[in-house]
Amino acid sequence: MDLKRDYYEDIELFKSKTVLVSTILGLIFLALLPALVSKYHFLGLSIYLVNLITVHSIVAIGLNIVVGYTGQISMGHAGFFAIGAFTTIILILRAGFPFLLALPVAAFVSSAFGFLLGLPALRLKGPYLAIATLGFGMAVTTTIKHLEFFGGRMGLQAPKLKLFGTVLKDLHLYYLIITIAIIMVVGAVKLMKTRVGRAFVAIRDSDIAAEAMGVNLTYYKTLAFAVSAFYTGVAGGLYAFILGFINPEGFHLIMSITFLAMIVVGGLGSIVGSIAGAVLMTYLDVKLQAVQDVPWVGPALLAFSQQYMTVSGISNIAPIVYGIIMILIVLFEPLGLFGFWIRVKRYWKTWPF
Amino acid sequence: MVKRVSIIGAVIVAVYWVTMPWAFGQQVRGVTDTEILVGQWGPQTGPAAAWGSVARGTGLLFKIINEEGGIHGRKIKYFLRDDSYQPAKTKAIVKEFLEQIGVFAVVAGVGVGTGMAVRDELMENKVIWVGPATGVYNWIQPFQRYLFAVFPLYDDEAYHLTAYLFEKMGLKKIAMFYQNDDYGKQGLMGVERYLKEKNTALVVKLSYEVTERDLSSHALKLKDSGAQAVILWSSPAHAAILLGETAKIGFKPQWASSCTLSDSPQMLQMTKGLWAGTINSFFAELPDSDHPLMVKYREWHKKLEPQERWGVFYYAGMMFAEPFVEGLRRAGRNLTPETLVKAMETLKDWKGTGPPITYGPNERQGGKHLFYGRVRPDGTVERLTDWVKITK
Amino acid sequence: MLGQLIVSGLAVGACYALLALAMVIIYKTSEVLNFAQGEMAMVSTFVAFVLLEGYHIPFVWAVVLTLMFALLLGVFVERVFLSTAKEPTVLGLIIITLGFEMILMGFAGWKWGPDQRSFPFPVSSVEAYRLGDLTISRINFWTILICLTLMFVLFLFFRYTKLGMAMRATQQNVMMARVMGIRTKRILSFTWAVSSMIGATAGMLIATLGVLDPNMMMDPLLKGFASAVLGGMTSLPGAALGGAILGMVENVFGGYVSLSFKGVVAFAIIVLMLCFRPSGLLARHYVKKV
Repeated sequence: MDLKRDYYEDIELFKSKTVLVSTILGLIFLALLPALVSKYHFLGLSIYLVNLITVHSIVAIGLNIVVGYTGQISMGHAGFFAIGAFTTIILILRAGFPFLLALPVAAFVSSAFGFLLGLPALRLKGPYLAIATLGFGMAVTTTIKHLEFFGGRMGLQAPKLKLFGTVLKDLHLYYLIITIAIIMVVGAVKLMKTRVGRAFVAIRDSDIAAEAMGVNLTYYKTLAFAVSAFYTGVAGGLYAFILGFINPEGFHLIMSITFLAMIVVGGLGSIVGSIAGAVLMTYLDVKLQAVQDVPWVGPALLAFSQQYMTVSGISNIAPIVYGIIMILIVLFEPLGLFGFWIRVKRYWKTWPF
Repeated sequence: MVKRVSIIGAVIVAVYWVTMPWAFGQQVRGVTDTEILVGQWGPQTGPAAAWGSVARGTGLLFKIINEEGGIHGRKIKYFLRDDSYQPAKTKAIVKEFLEQIGVFAVVAGVGVGTGMAVRDELMENKVIWVGPATGVYNWIQPFQRYLFAVFPLYDDEAYHLTAYLFEKMGLKKIAMFYQNDDYGKQGLMGVERYLKEKNTALVVKLSYEVTERDLSSHALKLKDSGAQAVILWSSPAHAAILLGETAKIGFKPQWASSCTLSDSPQMLQMTKGLWAGTINSFFAELPDSDHPLMVKYREWHKKLEPQERWGVFYYAGMMFAEPFVEGLRRAGRNLTPETLVKAMETLKDWKGTGPPITYGPNERQGGKHLFYGRVRPDGTVERLTDWVKITK
Repeated sequence: MLGQLIVSGLAVGACYALLALAMVIIYKTSEVLNFAQGEMAMVSTFVAFVLLEGYHIPFVWAVVLTLMFALLLGVFVERVFLSTAKEPTVLGLIIITLGFEMILMGFAGWKWGPDQRSFPFPVSSVEAYRLGDLTISRINFWTILICLTLMFVLFLFFRYTKLGMAMRATQQNVMMARVMGIRTKRILSFTWAVSSMIGATAGMLIATLGVLDPNMMMDPLLKGFASAVLGGMTSLPGAALGGAILGMVENVFGGYVSLSFKGVVAFAIIVLMLCFRPSGLLARHYVKKV
């Protein structure tokens, strides 16, 4: 039932028994995932890939907070990602911070930059904001590239991740990342149910009307950017350790666009949607590189390439698929994968009408 | 609420402890009775896709070997993956190589950023890596037991190229145009090291970013500096743009460049003929060479992959893998990482289509020679020297 | 040297100006940022290349055919993607253009491979005219000339023709334009067609000045954006002016201050303009109602 009897029911984390049970099942699945992946090559995943997907999910949630919930546009989130990654590494390498301290500090640094980016957002709308955030993203990359302090063009080698004195291996890294991700997901869900979340949504729907109703635009818009940057910064810090090596070239415009694609495909304004979008896009991104090994489709594409196109460029099918997905979602299901899920639910609930 | 969380937490911890032992297993990875599994990553798409030909060239070499019966009864199974020059993807590819396919070795591989993202992982897992497709120090410093470099070092190459211009051609006013990354900077190091020994310096040194396409100010600055020779440590596209820009303002110095621009027919076409007269260092036999191996490769190329252009970087992909193949031959039927390392270390001045390769118990820089040539207007190259030793 | 820097800057700036023009034309009528602009131009340029090198068609005819291709491409994008979208949000439209950009980029990389080629423009890129101390290469001269001519033609078109006025009317208020009898759907398609053709011209010029490969438009596109922001996203002369200024400022900066940071100039300009004068140098700011 979707009816709520009082405010406290509305803001409860687990809306019903079904949600609770599925959450527990989901957690068990996540706990078992590494075993499934390494023993049975589940869906062709590797632990690295799962870690990458989780990190991207955190970014997607962060981006969705500012784009889906608050209605702003950001094409520069690769910048926050980079800030999170580089700050964490530098704090650990040069200032000797332990990991558990470096990560939050880096995230706060990132959110400070988010706040700064939020300031022009107060004055700019739509396409102008898009360009401004785009400029921000590129400025961050270019600045990092030119400063030797950040390792310059060649980037930094991430040290081994030490937690409570022990060096972490891939598997442990997975559990650490999942734990952090779960905390952040719960945080986001709870945040959106509070006053702050409602203010964000009000701003999205009509910011001038929201201001008229008493929502302080300055405070909430910059807060949205700051929170979003915080999430992305955390993800960036984790990303640095998954990859083992970060260089500024890796945080480019295409990355920002990919993040945006993740939330649009997954569903704007929905946490579950962000995760779904991140999972799908990351998985496709990595798997499509080896498209010729896919049964049936692969050899067919290869034959087609030999006839009409260059064979060497066959992996170029990846951006084509990406682009088609993005366009189809916007044209036919603006609410993304989450919207699709809602439709399926509604169909079952109202069957046979 | 607390009760719920603690139950969930307990379940997670229990599952973790139970599943841990399942996760990893061990055997001689990548070697079976009939096959040796070898992988390579390369930029087949994206801004660096022009270098994708290296990985495809290696594929041709392995095809030839398999057609000729394999090595000690084993065929080579080759896995080529596209990383679009993005380290994140290279990492994913290496994980796939390690955890799913289980390769024995990795060959060549374009890019310093991409290679560095995976070097440690490969070394820790005792994956033999032969012939990274760049000549930077990162592969041999610090010493890596399982990494065998083939590409001659940029630093030494630049040193000797400058020496050639300075001494053999008497050009004292030298300028440099370099890419702003490890590749370009290590080239710069070599040039400056030589000039410092001669108590002089570059008249001007200009760097550029890979995404820049407008080099008119660079051209202007070069002309203003009055340089007699300009050393290029750049990408083919940027060299082409620069030559166009300098021609427009009427500046024609003696161009000299690294072996990364040694694809002379391609360079000539891209620069609409301005490339003629450039002095290059070369790290592999010329495309029309009559070296017996080159002749054989060309025949197989015509037979198996005629649609690929016979360019320097394509057959360099073969050249990078040649020491690996020789090592396999010498290691014999009992193939493990250790036996291969021992076999590789026995290579002394072994010549394939590239420089003479020498390894040793503490020596992992295999390629230490280059030769110099001048580009003729028809795209062929006039060989100016024989193989010159550049690294001690 | 300053004079030479300015002259080369103007030539490069002319290309940026053309791209900015293409972008502004679309923005004025559809309020969409066309991120696919660069790739559309690139694909059109490749088509020209194939016609010239593969089929050996004389240059003028190749250009005409390419422009027709660009026209169809523009109409295709507008009809198939933008009109089909149900009440698209700004973000939605941006995603559509980004998606199309990725499709085109993948397609170009797949079809033509990554090797760089040189574009056979009939004007020599090497010979130059000399005015005293300054050298202006023939191709740079022709680039500036083509750019100015196009701008002049567009100016006349928008000011004095019926179609031009219809386009301006559609930009100001779509509903009212329809009420007045203007076939807004056709106008929108036509806008995209014109923009695509201008983009194709810019693409061919940029390919001639540099090299032809699938990635050649990535940097110029961003510079085009910067020029449009500088001059004003709703002003055609602004776009041209923005391009010229950006080209010159970049070069002078590179020549006198720092060559390595030259690329940042465009972004610094974007950020500064958006902070202090978001509507650009020449445009007026329209305020939206609640």
